[in-house]
Amino acid sequence: MSTPSWRSQLSRRDWLKLASAGAIGSSMSGWLETLAADTANNPQRKRACILLWMSGGPSQTDTFDLKPGHANGGPFKEIQTTAPGLRISEHLPKIAKHGNKMAVIRSMNTKEGEHGRATALLRTGYMPTGSIQYPPIGALVAKELGSTDAPLPNYVSIAPYRTFSPAAYGSGFLGPSYAPLIIGDMADPERPNGQQRDPNAYEQSLKVKDIDLQPGVTEAQADGRMDLLQEMQRDFVKKHPGVASASHQSAYDRAVRLMKTTAGKAFNLEEETESLRDAYGRNLFGQGCLLARRLVERGVPFVEVTLAGLNNNMGGLGWDTHADNFNLVRRLSGALDAGWGTLMEDLKDRGLLDSTLIVWMGEFGRTPKITPQNGRDHFPTAWSTVLAGGGIKGGQAVGNTGKSGENVEERPVPVTDFLATVCTALGIDPLKFNNSNVGRPIRIVEKGAEAIKEIVES
Amino acid sequence: MLRFSLRLGSCVLLCAATLAALPAREVPGAAKAHAKPAGDPVALTLLIDELIVKQWELQKTTAAPRADDAEFMRRVYLDLTGRIPRYDQARDFLDDKDADKRRKLVNQLLDSPNFVTHFTNTWRALLLPQTNDPQAQALSPQLEVWLRKRFKANTPYNEMVRDILTADPYGRPMAVAPGEQPTGQEPSPTAFYQANENKPENLAAATSRLFLGVKVECAQCHDHPFAKWTRTQFWEYAAFFSGLQANQPNPNGMAQGYDPKRRQIEIPNAKTKTVVTAKFLDGIDPKWQDADVTRKVLADWATAPQNPYFAKATANRIWAHFFGIGLVEPVDEFSEENPPSHPELLDALAKGLIENNFDIKYLMRAIAGSRAYQLTSETTHASQDDVRLFARMPIKGMTPEQFFDSLAVATRYKGEFAGQQNNAFSSARAEFLSRFANPVDKKTEHQTSILQALAIMNGNFSGEATNPDSDAVAFMFGKRVSDEFSIRLIRCNMLGAVLDFPLTDTRQKLDTLYLATLSRRLRDDETEKMVKYVEGGGKTRDPRKAMADVYWALLNCSEFVLNH
Repeated sequence: MSTPSWRSQLSRRDWLKLASAGAIGSSMSGWLETLAADTANNPQRKRACILLWMSGGPSQTDTFDLKPGHANGGPFKEIQTTAPGLRISEHLPKIAKHGNKMAVIRSMNTKEGEHGRATALLRTGYMPTGSIQYPPIGALVAKELGSTDAPLPNYVSIAPYRTFSPAAYGSGFLGPSYAPLIIGDMADPERPNGQQRDPNAYEQSLKVKDIDLQPGVTEAQADGRMDLLQEMQRDFVKKHPGVASASHQSAYDRAVRLMKTTAGKAFNLEEETESLRDAYGRNLFGQGCLLARRLVERGVPFVEVTLAGLNNNMGGLGWDTHADNFNLVRRLSGALDAGWGTLMEDLKDRGLLDSTLIVWMGEFGRTPKITPQNGRDHFPTAWSTVLAGGGIKGGQAVGNTGKSGENVEERPVPVTDFLATVCTALGIDPLKFNNSNVGRPIRIVEKGAEAIKEIVES
Repeated sequence: MLRFSLRLGSCVLLCAATLAALPAREVPGAAKAHAKPAGDPVALTLLIDELIVKQWELQKTTAAPRADDAEFMRRVYLDLTGRIPRYDQARDFLDDKDADKRRKLVNQLLDSPNFVTHFTNTWRALLLPQTNDPQAQALSPQLEVWLRKRFKANTPYNEMVRDILTADPYGRPMAVAPGEQPTGQEPSPTAFYQANENKPENLAAATSRLFLGVKVECAQCHDHPFAKWTRTQFWEYAAFFSGLQANQPNPNGMAQGYDPKRRQIEIPNAKTKTVVTAKFLDGIDPKWQDADVTRKVLADWATAPQNPYFAKATANRIWAHFFGIGLVEPVDEFSEENPPSHPELLDALAKGLIENNFDIKYLMRAIAGSRAYQLTSETTHASQDDVRLFARMPIKGMTPEQFFDSLAVATRYKGEFAGQQNNAFSSARAEFLSRFANPVDKKTEHQTSILQALAIMNGNFSGEATNPDSDAVAFMFGKRVSDEFSIRLIRCNMLGAVLDFPLTDTRQKLDTLYLATLSRRLRDDETEKMVKYVEGGGKTRDPRKAMADVYWALLNCSEFVLNH
């Protein structure tokens, strides 16, 4: 009975390591120190991932798997990308310029057609259950690729819509140190849905909450307060060693680093030129993509940007086009093309595209058949996702949904294989175990998952 | 969202119209012994002490000293009422010269309205783990009201569990007078069924874990070489819930096929078709009669005094509530491979529960009075590092509710924390709770996130609480408040009251702030430094601002944030 479980031993060791990584209070003077390393040119640079999450489930038939000449096809035309034979929607012209860097998976085959559960499934790789708190892919990647003493959090989620699946935006059993830093949250009570916004307001909604000192508190006073805090709890921490006090120390240390180093400047979009900001699109998604670039540039391993609607008036499930599908998808495609297309270009210009994996997906696709409401309904049977950039052999499409798009006719890809591909492209072993909250280790992706070899660079 | 609310509304009506009710509950004589008052917990307290000390001696452990009054008081307020004491409550208790004041405080807190709130929160979190089911979320307030009533009446725990096991799974009101229109908002534990999607396998996993302390769910898919439970046993237990119809995407199909008397289930994906009949986890076959309602048969077995799991699992959960760690740990993994640290003690606690009609307050009185519970959390000897010896009090993290409500007490926040409903994102409190949620539910390994730190350091809530000149515009947490009434309330915050209170010197003012936050007075070794800091005006050379600095640091320090 004198041996604590291996689980608590492990986490205790992790925490002690973490606590010693930065002695809190050591950098109390000197606000806004510059970051030493230029991450883009660092030969030690690890891969990073930007997930573009299409909330509501985007129509594959009107984006990446068109069916020209078939009744299911709808009015949109195909255009050629820079990769021979790879054709996508006419409303994605900027993205088409990077066809040679993209692999389109047209044979996604998943089992869940309800928004909340499908969101959990696609993001965690597991069907949600009562007791096991599966972490989403962002937290899993953050744990593998992040560093515990980085000035910025290792997982940042921009403008998510969490209402139907809040747990899929946490960190599950990996614990709060891998939880996303959430900004521009649609569900933020400060910003009622449907409110019209000033196009320049996005830079405010994309800032980290509470990173600035309280109004009226000077930097000198803040230093005084931190000194006081250290003084006050020194005795307590010494007399109460352990995970709880070490984690508290570490969180304050990292929070202060975020406040005091230039890392926090990542969120200052106003530092970018007006023309670049215009190119990304003056909407939450476009500016979110720009922020994603700034974060990846500063070494954040996982950033996700949600396209949940336009001007906040699509209720958070913008791609849920049960009616008026074509008008809505055309408008959403405009925002998607500007944001993602510019992101590809911008990453390339900065030499970051080869080390940054870009993932495009939603919780499911939409019925190829057009409904009487001119809409498309939920469809997990045969739909598309896209992988682009770092670790991906571009210029190709995987799988085939035939003439009608109603079934996968070639190379079905389940969620597990898809996430295994994401991991492999990032240099992570998808079958690695993590300790869980239920007393047995759980793999990043379920056993049996295999990466799609033909699109992963070896 | 519109579609969703229509769906929920029509479902309630539909179910009410088409379903046959479970027969009215018949309470067997044994469980109905309301009349018998709970016994004196002192004898059990002495037994706890004896058995804990026996292990210390065997393991050559040097136990930590007894906690002082302040440490004990803060802990017992947090454990029993989910919040720290107000500064005046803290002061009065510390000044009280009564030698029996600890016991009296425990009794007083057990009878307080905040006890009901805290245990309602605690049990809601157990019954509804983070769920993706919007219907379960929508039904959560009903469950809270239901729990609240039971904790208020101090319903015997076995009756409460029996009611959950036999509850109507489809959200029909529990008790509606003839001719009365159901409102759909009658208190009921339906949300528990919704959170488990009305699936027999989910309910089997959840009920065995929560009420019996055993984890059979690993055996759901296949036999595990090292585990006690076989796949057949899992599905035999799940068969008690076979009459339920799993939630269907199509609401019209939801209630169809509900049969409260069904007791057979087919094991899915078996090599050959296998149908099993409901069987208790102890391997005994129920003595079926035709009229038996299956879940009632399960409830009779599960909550009976002679059930081999129930009383021990309950006692262990209550022990873990106080120490952050069970005698069996994890609390829901009773098995031969995971024996209790103190087998005799667990037996004694279970026996105490049974003999006192499953009155959980009886057990709480006995535990709160014990020497182990009243030890300091300070490490005074290396032999205390094994938390399972209970040779010092483990440090526990606060739940989001405990933390928010404690912050509210410490700052005299009068905003919207009175409402206990947890509709996601509906209020400033909900926003706070979601930011302070700790997904890894291990109290003794509590972790703090960067965003949590930033929220207390720079957030509007603490910003307003630590502003010595708070007036003009008032802020709630994350939300600007502009009506006169709220401003007036917030103006009178703790810091403002302390600063402006006449005829007090710096030391007395500091004392009040320490009592309000850390529930203790300034120690002698702190006094000189703190008084000097405030009177010197800190970095701003302004004593009012320097007092605010001290208050800010008090709200941010680990001694405030943790339950120790």
